[in-house]
Amino acid sequence: MADNLVGELKKLIIETLKLEEISPEDIEDDGRLFGDGLGLDSIDALELVVALEKKYGVVIPDSEVGERVFRSVNTLAQFVRENQIKNA
Amino acid sequence: MRYDETEIKVRFNEVDSWGIVWHGHYIAWFEVGRMALLGRFNLLPQDFTQMGYVAPVVEVKCFFKEPARMDEEILIRTSVLQPTKAALTFHFQILRKKDGKLLATGEETQVLLTLDGRMLYIIPQDLREKLKPLFDYLEEPDSVA
Repeated sequence: MADNLVGELKKLIIETLKLEEISPEDIEDDGRLFGDGLGLDSIDALELVVALEKKYGVVIPDSEVGERVFRSVNTLAQFVRENQIKNA
Repeated sequence: MRYDETEIKVRFNEVDSWGIVWHGHYIAWFEVGRMALLGRFNLLPQDFTQMGYVAPVVEVKCFFKEPARMDEEILIRTSVLQPTKAALTFHFQILRKKDGKLLATGEETQVLLTLDGRMLYIIPQDLREKLKPLFDYLEEPDSVA
């Protein structure tokens, strides 16, 4: 179940940001998403926030929370799991 | 989408040694257009600061189609799209007034930060309300021919 969410999030990142040359296997579960990792930027974060809220109902209000949540796909998955439970 | 319109005249210090407007000045012209539009709705930088926000530009695009020359009267047309994320994307058209020739188009994106540098991922309700009259105005049919 946990692995499904990680895979699902990788697909969501690729589709939302139109990363046409990247496949889910290219994204490491613990690899950095921003900066020298996958190379995402602040505008990408804004796009992802909208997609995540739409799909999972989770809210990432600002960069203070975002820096922690967007560290890797694993940290993002953990945030989605925890906050979906809270919202349920 | 409606555009707001403001006029300028090309100044001597804006043309290069080829007699045409140096490309960098178009970005300053975008700023003239943006301030004219935002000023009408009390959304100038100081208004943002009073609410506890700043809105830095993070992306600029400009497409140059025809040159502008000294003393020509220029129309700067400015609009901004209803945001789908926590950013404001402005659109610009630069036209020569005498014949309506489109000289350049551009786009600029601003994000929102708190005064202590926290980037907002969601547009806060107070700012959303303050922006509403601007978007209501821009959604009216374009009155500019």
